Amino acid sequence: MKTTWLSAMIFAVLTAGVRAEDIVVIVNPAAKPVSKAQVADIYLGRSAELTPIDQTVGSSIYVQFYQKATGRDAAQVKAIWSRILFTGRGQPPKQLPDSAAVKKSVAANPNAVGYIEKSAVDATVKVALPLD
Amino acid sequence: MKITWKVGVGASVLLLVTLRGHADTTLDQYLTLSGFGTLGVVHSDYRQADFTGEYIQPHGAGFSQSWSPTPDSDLGGQADLRIADGLTGVVQVLSRDSDDGNFKPGIEWANIKYAFTSDLAVRVGRTLLPTYERSDSENIGYALPWVRIPNEIRYSNSATHSDGVDVLYRIKTGTVTQDLQIQFGRTSEEFSGAVFRGKDLVVLSDTLQYGNTSVHLAYQTMMYTFSTLPPARFRLASAGFTYDPGTWFVTGDSNVAHYDFFGNFYAWYLSVGMRFGHFTPYLIYSLEDAPDSAPPSGLTHLGDERTMGAGVRWDFAKNIDFKMQLQRVLIETTDAPASFNDVQPGLRPGDKANVVSLTLDFVF
Repeated sequence: MKTTWLSAMIFAVLTAGVRAEDIVVIVNPAAKPVSKAQVADIYLGRSAELTPIDQTVGSSIYVQFYQKATGRDAAQVKAIWSRILFTGRGQPPKQLPDSAAVKKSVAANPNAVGYIEKSAVDATVKVALPLD
Repeated sequence: MKITWKVGVGASVLLLVTLRGHADTTLDQYLTLSGFGTLGVVHSDYRQADFTGEYIQPHGAGFSQSWSPTPDSDLGGQADLRIADGLTGVVQVLSRDSDDGNFKPGIEWANIKYAFTSDLAVRVGRTLLPTYERSDSENIGYALPWVRIPNEIRYSNSATHSDGVDVLYRIKTGTVTQDLQIQFGRTSEEFSGAVFRGKDLVVLSDTLQYGNTSVHLAYQTMMYTFSTLPPARFRLASAGFTYDPGTWFVTGDSNVAHYDFFGNFYAWYLSVGMRFGHFTPYLIYSLEDAPDSAPPSGLTHLGDERTMGAGVRWDFAKNIDFKMQLQRVLIETTDAPASFNDVQPGLRPGDKANVVSLTLDFVF
């Protein structure tokens, strides 16, 4: 009993630091609603309905976003975009360094879509979908 | 003269790509440099022929040497140019073991693209043919789940490029997207010491996409000449699919081809894989068959073989993967089996080759 409780405490302490913060997909306030399937299509290069914006490739929010929105890890996403790039069909999404930059870009462009922490949302952008 | 020009462009692009760390930032608005490559080695225990990574490679592993780095190793560089609104250009140069047994850089893509809308674009210049589901990315190891696209599926089509015009049109009906591609052009390849030329080359390709499912259908036709043969017709129809929700995948491709002189060919493969963390183990079965009809060439069962393969892809670091692939190839013909060159007199139908391939694929 005591050992189990101790293990549980240790586990909780170790994982507390890596608990993911909620992420949301944001669009320009004037944009139409967009579904999870559409977001996946846009970020995997299958659709050009909106212009996707990435955060830094490999960063924690990048990895969480793709896992939740597309069910894929960073290497799988890179492989998909490599095929698109090297067959002349497009370029991977532009990368911006942080959520503030993503918000600014999405607020300025009616065709843009991005992802930021839920806590970073403000009136300049519209939440299209929460991701859990 | 022509060869020198190609080598010049090729070397320049590869040099530019490797120096891109020093590129001026204002240049970034107009020019993007990127590249890919594979370092690979293949071992084959079969001594009566060389296992190759592509039919035009004159040598490989098995007969001339039991371990060979030539089947899959390559290096590619690409320059993407933003010329004006909607107008872009691309040049991609690839260095890979080619028909004359060296790694002389060749131009894979060189075209100007104009996008009339986000759904309609025209490319003029050189493009890779979209004949098979993955033919336009056949050299991008990092984009493939396996070490290489099965040799059997590519065997029947001697053309890989088109020099001409390519139209790309995307149609969306509800949740289904269709990427249509129409190409008109000509092609030439050198192999077996002779030149293969294709004229009046037309390819129609449709990739239908619905979420994680895609289906690829294509039809190709051309008039070809090879060596001293008179002009003859080639036709091919292909159908392939992929279902990839991320945690596992299943994919297959198939084609039926006809050469007026060489006869009919059938080929297909089926593969399934699963993702466990950074590892993606897979199985792949591929087959090529030129059935019995007696072609004017007199070469029966041209290329016949079947391969059972199993392997694993390990994405161990950013932008690089490692793959190990084991294959057992059943050779069913003495006439140019799909994966082999340097065929020796001792080759018998029914022989089996055990092949191990190890590769590092990277993009930059």
